[in-house]
Order: sequence, then structure tokens, then C-alpha cells
Amino acid sequence: MTKKTHSQPRSEHGATGSYVIGFVLSLIFTIIPYHLVVNKVLSGNTLLATILGIAVLQMFIQIFFFLHLGRGPKPFYNVVFFFATAGIIVLVIGASLFIMNNLHYNMAPDEVVRKQAQDEGISQVEGKTTGACQGNKDNHIVVIKGGVARPAHTQASRCDTLTFLNQDEGKREMVFGPHPNYHSYGGEEMVVLDDGRPETITLNETGGFMFHDHLYPSLSGHLTVAP
Amino acid sequence: MKEFWLGKLGWHALPHEWFTILGSISFVMLGLTVIAGLTYTKRWKWLWNEWLTSVDPKRIGIMYFIVGGFMLLRGGLDAIMIWLQQSLSSGASHGYLTAEHFQQVFTAHGNIMVFFVAMGLIFGLINYIVPLQIGARDLASPFMNTLGFWLYVAGVVMVNMFFLFGGEYAATGWLAVAPLSGKAFSPGVGVDYWIWSLQISGVGTTLGAINFIMTILKMRAKGMTLLKMPLFTWGSLCSMIMAVSVFPLLTMTLFLVFFDRYFGTHFFTTDAGGNAMMYTNLIWMWGHPEVYILMLPSFGVFSEIVSTFSRKPIAYYKSNVLAMIGVSSIALLVWLHHFFTMGASAEVNSAFGVATMIIAIPTTVLVFSWIATMYKGRIRFTTPMLWFLGFIAIFALGGISGVLLAIPPVDFQLHNSLFLVAHFHSTVIGGVLFGIFAGLNYWFPKIAGFRLNERIGRYAVWAWIVGFFVAFTPLYILGLMGATRRLDHYDSSKGWQPFYIMALVGGLIIAAGVALQIVQIIASIIQRKRLRDPTGDPWDGRTLEWATASPPPSYNFAVIPEVKTRDAYFEMKHLHAPKHAFEDIHMPKNTASGIYISIFAFLAGFGFVWEINWLAVVSIIGIIVCLIARTFNEDSEYTIPAEVVRKMEKARTDKADTHRKDSRDDEDDMGLIEFAKTVITWALGIALGIVRGKK
Amino acid sequence: MTHHTNAEAISVHEEAANDRVMFGFWVYLMTDLLMFAILFAVYAVLHGNTMGGPTGRDLFNPKLALSETLILLTSSFTAGMGMIAARRGIKRQVLVWFGITFLLGLAFLGIELFEFAEFIHEGHTMTVNAFLSSFFVLVGTHGLHITSGLLWLAVTLIFVIKRGLNSHLVRKLALLSLFWHFLDIVWIFIFTVVYLGAFV
Repeated sequence: MTKKTHSQPRSEHGATGSYVIGFVLSLIFTIIPYHLVVNKVLSGNTLLATILGIAVLQMFIQIFFFLHLGRGPKPFYNVVFFFATAGIIVLVIGASLFIMNNLHYNMAPDEVVRKQAQDEGISQVEGKTTGACQGNKDNHIVVIKGGVARPAHTQASRCDTLTFLNQDEGKREMVFGPHPNYHSYGGEEMVVLDDGRPETITLNETGGFMFHDHLYPSLSGHLTVAP
Repeated sequence: MKEFWLGKLGWHALPHEWFTILGSISFVMLGLTVIAGLTYTKRWKWLWNEWLTSVDPKRIGIMYFIVGGFMLLRGGLDAIMIWLQQSLSSGASHGYLTAEHFQQVFTAHGNIMVFFVAMGLIFGLINYIVPLQIGARDLASPFMNTLGFWLYVAGVVMVNMFFLFGGEYAATGWLAVAPLSGKAFSPGVGVDYWIWSLQISGVGTTLGAINFIMTILKMRAKGMTLLKMPLFTWGSLCSMIMAVSVFPLLTMTLFLVFFDRYFGTHFFTTDAGGNAMMYTNLIWMWGHPEVYILMLPSFGVFSEIVSTFSRKPIAYYKSNVLAMIGVSSIALLVWLHHFFTMGASAEVNSAFGVATMIIAIPTTVLVFSWIATMYKGRIRFTTPMLWFLGFIAIFALGGISGVLLAIPPVDFQLHNSLFLVAHFHSTVIGGVLFGIFAGLNYWFPKIAGFRLNERIGRYAVWAWIVGFFVAFTPLYILGLMGATRRLDHYDSSKGWQPFYIMALVGGLIIAAGVALQIVQIIASIIQRKRLRDPTGDPWDGRTLEWATASPPPSYNFAVIPEVKTRDAYFEMKHLHAPKHAFEDIHMPKNTASGIYISIFAFLAGFGFVWEINWLAVVSIIGIIVCLIARTFNEDSEYTIPAEVVRKMEKARTDKADTHRKDSRDDEDDMGLIEFAKTVITWALGIALGIVRGKK
Repeated sequence: MTHHTNAEAISVHEEAANDRVMFGFWVYLMTDLLMFAILFAVYAVLHGNTMGGPTGRDLFNPKLALSETLILLTSSFTAGMGMIAARRGIKRQVLVWFGITFLLGLAFLGIELFEFAEFIHEGHTMTVNAFLSSFFVLVGTHGLHITSGLLWLAVTLIFVIKRGLNSHLVRKLALLSLFWHFLDIVWIFIFTVVYLGAFV
């Protein structure tokens, strides 16, 4: 009993090649970003943009070679729907990030606002002081070398500045608090030292604070800020 | 042990307040009446086979109308409660509702009107009319159609379930803003009922939207290109494309609220890193496009009506299409105008404010094209046309107030004031609701086989228009005077009470309008023989749906017409399209799968509301099993042989050939006095019959 | 004993129906993508809210994530091979290729569940902070989709064994493949944004 097999008018017939190419390309574009991140070939926003771009590229590869988009019969409604959806996704994620970022800046809690006021040099708003520090005060320097912070303990006054100087190879992420927890200090979440440049923060909160390198927690120190 | 089987349910959940007792009794009485009626007339099997398990979009459309209409009354009752409370509750008096109860009433009012009235009636119209307009026999997926309907019904039941169990609904406003909707601030079951009624019906809406898109894009008659489609179909297509774009956002956001409440996650909580502002952002990403989803089919309805009753093709067809697409696209870009005051910077607010104002442009293109269509037309002021004129007056007011609100500094004064409430009621009542009413009046002859009473219809339109202005003009003024929305009490020194009372009077006039609409239907049924539409084309229509019988046979068209122009039927009528030979017609079989899956979906939601975990799990498994059973069922069609089709068509055309006087003459339509006389006579007759029978 | 198909000649009516169903399913996949968009948006906004607790960098294992990625990618490829066999009507190949797809999918789930179990065991549950909430719900939703796909695949293959490879089941497999490829695409972004992104 033979029955005629009627192949679908789509291009999946004899499309083994399509899947193999898609598979190999996807493999490549998976390994590349993995390598870039794990081996720290790039960093920061460049790295983020690169791996996202490669992800989008791999998506198109799979859309074309696995899902055969654009190779079916006309009209290409599913192509239209795909790009429309992609647009809405970009809108949902992008606009959300933009709006929430904007709200975060405008609706921030007090200590973050103090830092913003400091950064923008605003000392008074409608007659009330912002608590922002201004003017020249003492600068304290903490040098990181050989995995140790010197001095181990810094004594300072409010509105002094503290400069971290990283003389070791590799990146340091200085945070305040005991590992593995950390908290922000004076509106600063984390002080990143990764290219040899010193970073300075203003000490606008009083009290005693531990700080450590979030990447290598054995590196730690202490800071006391008097009023 | 009891906790495992019953979750949080207990005796305390049963009705024990005056309104839950009243509501429960009402529903039970209603249910018993229906059951009694069906049993007495032995119509259970008929109901099941002909209606409940039907996959015919015409049947499903009518069922949407019935449920949606019923919910209109339910939501309207909420409105009267609100008007009453706000008129009474000034100074020393606190009205008759507690603050908590009042909050639940306006929340339920909003949810019911948007999700269950507007969406339901619109889905009914699209189901019935669009296949007829494009020359299709059914939707692309009959199963998804019935499933979507029953999920909608499950949502309707869920939103009313609190009467029987729990006694409270969400008291958060219709969109349940975080963190008020979180467990910490709304620990009861009200918000859970809110979540699941919206979630279940939302899934139904998404499935329905996919179905409509598939149908419109893939099942048009031969020769009907996209630019030859009627404008109601275009409006529906744009609306449904928006729906598939944004309902998934609602679905996921509702899940996140659910996770926060049920599992203790921290998406929108006030602690542990949750961000309540993100909820507002996400929910309005859905919420704004939703109102345009409701609006676009109404725009389409009006295009049809203006064209038919001006006896001209619609002016600037292509601009209309572009305008509809324009409205749909821009609608996706404006949602932040719902939270100008939440704290974004001036630049962000301005950008969204400008985008909001830009929507007015394509909307105006539509209005101008309708006016241009009427210009030099031979206009007939039938009831649908009157609804259209009411729409122009009221919707224009709503649109203008909307453009005002789009300006951030103005919005800072008027956000969440009664001005806002008046604005959106103007657009939704004037636009969405009047469009639905107009469409129902216009297509009623097609659906029922006889047209509606024009005289009483006119009274109803005027009651609605006058009532609307009396009810909402004071709200515009109150808003400008500083009155906030959702107030259950206010100082007498404000001097607001007269305005609230005037609003109540307007509300009662609207209620009279609703009563008149019900009377209109009943009077039309009484006079149905005289109002009969024998030709299928009572208005001298232009589009394909008028080419079928009234009501159409199950297969819509015996032979799918080949379309050559826009306003396809108009050309066919005057060119006498040649007849084709009859062919076998494949029709989908009825199925109860939609009902079963929806019952399981309801039970799962109920289980989640009351934390009855075993019920939720078992119900989800039930859904999966039913889905598998249905989708692996390969025997879902039956065939009507060509010979049977030929016989059915002959019977129909034989009946239509009898000449009748033009059923458009409405001098003989019964007026209110004659209606009252008829009803009293009938009631007396029954009473006398009972009395005589007893002897 | 022929390896060849029971597939009947497909009428015009059925072909039009197939086209509609494929398109409708595609539209459904777009709605699914939009649901994931919300989860990605939420993760993007909330992933920094660890309340001082461990971040992704402290918790995630990039090697594990890479293995998951490669497994899922391979399963997407084998699903494609299975689809080619289905179009050719070769039942045995269909069962083999899709069977491999099923096993790979199961392996993927296993690794993911292992990862989750470890986190939970160490006290990093989804109720701790917003970062963990958004991580578990995003990755977990994808895992739930994979689970549904595996269930669907298993049921379909059982029917293929029982009924043979008819056109209805070929269409089912086509829809399933669409679903499976699409899940791999979503995973690319989870891998990039969540797992790699934590180490940037």
C-alpha cells in the first residue's frame, strides 16, 4: 500500500545543511562571549555591549537557520510579527530601564541625594542645606599593594576625602561592610579600581566603617569618621 | 488536616454582611430561575448541544453579548452605589457605605466595566461580524474560540465569587497599585480574587486575539486584499494586534504580583529590594494600550454606520486605515502619562506628554473622514446614526480633556482628580460604549432576523446623552475645584455636594436609558413578525455580511463570494454577481473541551485564592490532560454535502422572495405607552389564568 | 516492513489549515517572548538589589551555565534533524532524533535543578531579596517552558508510536520544533544577560 508523500511547500526539505551551519555558527557565537567574559578580554560597557550584540547575532542565526524565517511562502506575516515583537521587547526593556533609572535618580533616599548634591555642587535648596560637603578638607590616602591596604586604619573628619590607590595588578572592587555583605557609604555602592587611577570619595557620613575588596575579601581595612 | 483540605476557607468566609448576603441571594435566585426554566421547558440538551458546546462564532458572539450585558447591569449597579454614597456623604453624614466597602465597590466597577463588559461585548461583535465581513465560515481555530469564551466566563464567575466566599474584593482601585496590593497591606483574599479573575479572562483574551488575527490575515475571501477589507475588520485587526502585543505584559505582571503574595518574593514589596514603582510602570504599559484596544473596534463600527447611513462609501479609506494603524502604534508609546506625578524628571514627562498629544492627530483624521463621508450624502437618522452623533459630542469632549491632561504641569493639578474621571468616562462611554450600542443596533437585524424598535431606541439614545452630560459635567467642574477621585466622604464646607447630587441625577437618567434599551429589545421581540428582515439587507448595506440571510446559516455563505472591490456587497448587488456551483462544506464539530478547561482554570484560581494547594495542583493537571485530549483529537470536523447545502439555500431564498413593505418605516414601531399596555395586558392575562386555573 | 510514512496526500484544505496553524502558533510564540521581556526588564531593574547580600558574580558558575547552553543548543539541532525526518516520513529517524532531543532537554533540566537546589540549600531562596526573586522567576519560567515542551514531546512521540506518523502528528512535531528553537533563543539571552552579565 503506497501512499503518495506530499512534501510541504516549505524549504525544510533537504535542509540538513541549514541546521548544520546554524549549529556550528551558534557554537562559535556561544564560545566567543564566554571566552571574552571568563578570561576578561574586555571589560565594562564595551564587554556588555559586545556580548549583547553577539547574542542578538546568534538569535538571528537561529531564526534564519533553525526557524527558517523568511523562507516560507509569502506573505511574510511572521517576519512582520517577529520584527514588531522585537521592537516592543526593546521598548519594554529599554524604556523600563530608562524610566526606572530616571525615577531612581529623582526619588532616591537621603544619603544618595546628598551624594548627588555633592557631585553637582548644590549646597542649598530653598534655604535648607543639603548636607553636601564642599571646599578643601584633608585628603587621606589608602594604598593597596601586595594584597594589603595601608594604612589598615584611617582616622578622618566629616567632609574629608579618602583616596584609594591600587598598585596591584588586576581589578579591585572596594565596598563598605563585612564580607559577604556590604552596604553603601555616602551614596557610594562600590569603588571600582581597575586601571591604575586613584578614586576619591567624600566622607560625608560619620561613624566607624569596615571596608574590603569584594573580589578578594581578605583585603580589608577600617575607617573612622569623626563629626 | 482541615488546613490541607480547605486552605484558608472556613465558616468565616461565608456571607455574613448585608451586601454579601444580598448579592449571594440574588445570584442564587437567578441561578435557580434559570435552572427551573430549563428543566420545565426540557431544554438542557438543547442548551448544551446548540449553545454551550458550540464553536460557531455566531453562537459564541451571542453568548458574549448575554454575559457582557448582564455584567453591564452589575457594573452599573456599582456606579449607582458610588453616586449615592458620594451624594450623601458630606460633612456629618458618612453615607451608607463604610470606607473599605466603598473602595471595593469602585474597584469592582472599574474591573467589571473594562474587562467583562467592554471586552466581552467587543469580542461578541468581532466574533459574529468579522467572519461575515471577510467571507469566512468560521474563525481560524474554533476550539480556541470556545476556550476563550469560557475562560472569560470563568473570569466573570471569579470576580463575583467573593459574594459567596470571602466577602471582600480588592480595595485597591481597578489596577491594584503596589505596594497596596501586596500581602502586607492587603492581607485578605480580595486582591487574590482580583488577580485570578483578570488572569484567567486575560488568557482568554490573548487566545481570542491570536485567533482573530489568524482569521483576518489568512481566511479572507478570494480577491479581498487587505485594502479592500471593511473598516470594522480593520479596526478589529489593529485592536487585536495591539492585544497580542500587550496582554502578555499584563499576564506576566499579574504573575509577579501573585508570586509576591503567594511565595513571598520581592518584586514590588517595600522591603528587600522590591520596587513598587516598577509595578506602576509595567501595569500601565498594558493599561494604556488596553483602552485603545477597546476603542478601535468602535471606530470601525462608526465608519461602517456613517457610510451606510450616508449612502456613500467611506471618505479617505486609506487615510482611515493609516490613522487606525497610527493610533495603534502611538498608543504603545505613551503609558507614562498615567504616572507623571510619580517623580520622573521634566524631560521624561515632556517626552511622553508630547507623544500623548500626538495621538489626537490620527484620531482627528478619523473624525474628519466621517464628517466628509456625511457631506453631500443622503443621511438617514436611524438609531445607530444617533448613537454616532452622541459619540461625536461626548468623545470629542473626552479627547480634548485628554489633551489637556497630557500636559505635565496641568496633570500635576488634575492627576487622580474628578476631572480625570470625567475624561476617561467621556472617552469610554462616548467612544467605546456608544460604539458597541451603535454596532448592536446596526447588526441586530442580521443577528436576530428582525430589526429593533426605532422609536424606543431613540428615547434610549437621548436618555444616555442627556444623562451623560448631567452626570459628568459636574465631575469636570469638581475636578477643577480640587475634588479627588475615589472619595467616600468630604467636608461640607467644600460646597461640593450639589455637584455630586447632580451627578447622581444624571446617573439615574442613564439608568433610565438602560431600562429603555431593555424595553427596546422586549418591544422588538413582541413586534418581531412585523419587524422581520426577509432580505438579509435591511439598511441597503455595502459590506459582505449583508449578503447572507438574517440570521445567517451555520456555514455563513453557501458559496464564498469572490471579491473585486471595496464595499464588496454593494458592487455585487448592483452587478448581479454570477452564481457558482455548490460544494461540500467542512464545518468544525462542537466541543466541550473549552468548558472543561475553563472549569479547571477556575478551580485552580480558586485554589490559589484560598491557598488550597492540592486543588490548584490537581486543577492544573486537569487543564493539561484536557488540552492533550483535545489537541491530539484528530476527528474535529464534519461535512455538509453539497446537495444538502443546495436544499438549505433554496429554502432560504424561497422565504426571502415574499415582498414586504419596507421594514425601515418606523411609524408603526410601538411607543412606550403601547409597550406598557402590552405588558400589563400580558401580566394580567397570566394572573387571571393562574386564578382561573386554581378554581 | 517499510520505514516510510503513513502520511496521506494532503488536500488543499488541510494545507491551508496547516499554514494557518503554523502562523497562529508563531503569533503565540511572540506573546510568549513578550512575557519573557517583562521578566528580563524586571531582572535588569532589580538585579542590583541584593541588600548587601551575594550577587550573581558570587553565586553563578559560568562553566555550569556554558554546559547548559551547549546541551540546549545541541538539542535544538537534533530537533531540527528530527523535523527533516518527519517531513520525509521516516518514523524510526523521527523517534531517534527527537528521543535524543528529549534526553538532552532532561539533562538541561537536571543541571538547572541542581543549581537551584544548591542555592536553596545555602539559603539563597527567592524570598530573600529582589535579585534572587527576579533570578529564580526568570530562569525558572524558562525551565517551566522546557518542562512543558518535554511533556508535549513525550506525549507526541507516544502517539507517533501508537498511530504512526500521520500528517496531523507531523504538524504537531513542527509546532513543537518551533517551540523548542524559540526556547533555545530565549536561553541565549538568559545565558548572556544573567550568567555572563554577572561577571562583566
